[in-house]
Amino acid sequence: MTDALLRTEDLHVWFDLPRGGTLHAVQGVSLRLDPGERLGLVGESGCGKTTTALALMGLLPPNASVAGQVLLSGEDILAGAEETMRPHRWVDVAMVFQGAMNAFNPVKTVGSQIVEALELHDRATGRAARVRTGELLASVGIPKDRAERYPHEFSGGMRQRAAIAMALACEPSVLIADEPTTALDVMVQAQILELLDALCRDFGLALLLVTHDLPVVAQLCDRAAVMYAGELVEQGSVDELFHEPRHPYTRLLFAATADLYGNGIPVSIPGAPPRLDREIDGCPFRPRCDRAFSRCEHDRPLLREVASAHAAACHLNDVAAVAAR
Amino acid sequence: MRGADYVIKRTAFAIVTVFIAVSINFVLFRLAPGSAVSNFSRVPHSTPETRLAIKKQFGLDKSRGEQYVLYLKQLARGNLGVSFANAQPVSSNLRTALLNTLPMVFLGTLFAIVVGTLTGVIAAWRRGTGVEGASVGSALAFYSMPTHWLGLMLVILFTGVLPTGGMSNDFLINPSFWTHLKDLASHIVLPSLTLGLVLYGEYTLIVRSAMLETLGEDYILTARAKGLKPWAIVRRHALRNAMLPIATLVALSLGYVVAGAILIETVFSWPGIGRAVYQAVLQRDYPMLQGAFLVLTVSVVFFNLLADLLYFKLDPRITQ
Amino acid sequence: MSVVLHEPGAVAEPEPDRARGGLVWETIRRKPTAVIGLVVLALIVAAAVLAPWLAPYDLHTPAGPVFEPPSWQHPLGLDDGGIDVVTLLMWGARISLVVGFAATLVSMLIGGTIGVLAGYSGGKVDGSLMRVTDYFLVIPDVPLMIIVAAIWGPSLFHIVIVIGILLWTSTARVIRAQVKSVRERVYVKRAHALGAGHTRIVLRHVLPQVAPLLIANTVLTIAVAVFDETALAFLGLGDPSRVSLGKMIENAFQRAAISSGAWWAIVPPGVLVALIILSCSLIGQALEDALNPRLRVAHLSAHGFRLRPLVGRKEGAL
Repeated sequence: MTDALLRTEDLHVWFDLPRGGTLHAVQGVSLRLDPGERLGLVGESGCGKTTTALALMGLLPPNASVAGQVLLSGEDILAGAEETMRPHRWVDVAMVFQGAMNAFNPVKTVGSQIVEALELHDRATGRAARVRTGELLASVGIPKDRAERYPHEFSGGMRQRAAIAMALACEPSVLIADEPTTALDVMVQAQILELLDALCRDFGLALLLVTHDLPVVAQLCDRAAVMYAGELVEQGSVDELFHEPRHPYTRLLFAATADLYGNGIPVSIPGAPPRLDREIDGCPFRPRCDRAFSRCEHDRPLLREVASAHAAACHLNDVAAVAAR
Repeated sequence: MRGADYVIKRTAFAIVTVFIAVSINFVLFRLAPGSAVSNFSRVPHSTPETRLAIKKQFGLDKSRGEQYVLYLKQLARGNLGVSFANAQPVSSNLRTALLNTLPMVFLGTLFAIVVGTLTGVIAAWRRGTGVEGASVGSALAFYSMPTHWLGLMLVILFTGVLPTGGMSNDFLINPSFWTHLKDLASHIVLPSLTLGLVLYGEYTLIVRSAMLETLGEDYILTARAKGLKPWAIVRRHALRNAMLPIATLVALSLGYVVAGAILIETVFSWPGIGRAVYQAVLQRDYPMLQGAFLVLTVSVVFFNLLADLLYFKLDPRITQ
Repeated sequence: MSVVLHEPGAVAEPEPDRARGGLVWETIRRKPTAVIGLVVLALIVAAAVLAPWLAPYDLHTPAGPVFEPPSWQHPLGLDDGGIDVVTLLMWGARISLVVGFAATLVSMLIGGTIGVLAGYSGGKVDGSLMRVTDYFLVIPDVPLMIIVAAIWGPSLFHIVIVIGILLWTSTARVIRAQVKSVRERVYVKRAHALGAGHTRIVLRHVLPQVAPLLIANTVLTIAVAVFDETALAFLGLGDPSRVSLGKMIENAFQRAAISSGAWWAIVPPGVLVALIILSCSLIGQALEDALNPRLRVAHLSAHGFRLRPLVGRKEGAL
């Protein structure tokens, strides 16, 4: 297998809970992202998708502990924690955060915060940096002179555009976007998605889009990975996942979102995800699964290839086992 | 201009507060058991003639409303009455006292802000470690000590090393300018240190929680994602934002500074406005007490206004 | 975008009434500093309450010469009147605590009423009440206390009232903010829609929610009240007929305990006041920290996340 641009190998994240105990938020996630590829990471809230994204940049809080590898062009950047992560931040991997409302420091101008990134990574200094900031803002459709304004003087959509401009400052090869359109109104959402689409095309960016919004994934991504209870349960091309899901959760999730085009009646999946602060026995989805059988109770299914470039973690794909039940 | 409204609003607030304080002042002394005159007559050697003169002087033969107007008029002219104790105008007594208090309080507060900010930032930064525990622990300890008692403890510790009373050595005859300054400096150490230590405790706690709140903000995560080193984040992003609540809380602690000054000046016989309050209490010198209360309130209100304007300067979000 | 540390499967909407009362206790139990504070405060309160039975000597009869140094009979020596210092401390703490608790009660009643009234009614009532509070917040309270105490004359009752009516501002603000946010919650609106009266809503729904912060505020107010009593007593405005901790410090100061070298007359009462204030602060701080949701997330800290060696099963990588 050739080296992917960005790859995680058996990534685990635990959080020490303030009231004692640990939460196993990410449980052995292995993902890969090739140059120019767009991968959607989907799941319900609390399934570990944001934590996975933050782990890719080493942005976890102090109560977190991590195991596994994060490989950037083959180099394990997680090996030395903060020290090996920092040189790659923004230069190779940049991030657009959820609800950019607070992504900018409220007491500094938007321009100065983009300049800060440019100067920090020696892309430009002084006047040149300010000129470049103007260009970056223009490339996301914000008038240059707005650079002198403060974040609170921007609308929500504008702030998210500015955040994207800031992410592009050092021409990274990977852009991680964590729920980039949540908290924005529908019209603005569409604009931001178009902008991301165009920028990825123009700059050849690889995109990791973290979202719970399946239509957005369908619109923007080539591949998708579905997370449930801290685990990857299925991944493959968006088309295949939609038309031929091989995990009941994926199937129900897509059914829950009605239709990729927003038609039809959404249904919800009954029940709630399991608690992640205790060991899960068997398949984590079993209590909510409509097709669980005896084996699911104690035997935890592993992620296995079910078709070319399509993997799922479900015993139903084990033909022999299903036949034997 | 951005926020001209804000400045006007805050200034108006300050003026109204002073007005309210002035009115409280008026009402309190009229509510006192007996009139001001009967209180005055408790002072020995007051003759009926003096009493009548006083009655006229204070306009006590007039109605309450007229008295109030008269009081305001006199106040506007800077007339705070005459001290019972030394028959000098209260205003000139207070002016001397205030000038003595300011440097002592200034040095103490400066010490507290510098040390308090430093230990507060370190405590937040080292959250959950022994460093935080030690920093918060010692801050709480100093915060908990009664101001005057801490002063007395310093007196016990430093007797013989540093002067423990007064503002200057009266036995220095015709000292040169430098000797006099050195003498003053040695006298100011203990009172200032007492105030500084008590306030430092409070400021550490304030700065710590302001910093902790700021470190949880999303833009700190952005700054980390951009690849900034931790100290750069603290310097460029966290500290500036943490300064906002700190500015407000430091302003609010001014009332405490005033209380501290009264207690400390009493312990160290520092001839400032706090000691003036103490002596006015002992001698039941009501005009002095009234004047001192007014001066203290006005200065607290003034510094609060200053903090408001500083806040305005620090936070671009304030526009209205 | 922040990493939320919710326990999974937790219900989003908090249980309206029951859960919060236990929260105060839970928080104190989990914080070692708060436990220490609570134990120390409980010990001091117990010693003060039991002073008539526990105090080793009589409060009014000299037990030996003036400023007698500590000995086996008198572990903390004798004061300027030849009274046993341990005995004085117990009786003094009694008065100081009575002043502290009573003044806090007064200020809680005023501040709580104003806070609930302002937060619950909103609009003009809220605006004008908060304006008044703002003004009171700026006027320095100790000088005002001094004046009131000086005019009214020194007595325990006056001191309690004076401290009480000047300490309510912070309570009013804290309570108002809480009440305002509680009022907006679904179940309060629902209760209102179901026809519950105002008093009932405040008592059954708002108060239980506000209780933890109110308790934190109460504890911190007790600390301030004890300090203020000490300050007033030191300035000669304490009740001359009763011994409080503040009065003990004043006596020692006035009767030249320091120049006599009688540190035992002045150090212990200060330490005791500091302990009372410290333990109140520890409890109050622990509660405030636990109740402040903004302190739960830290994006930056001296120690970053940790790396763990991988143990356990490996999964098939794609």
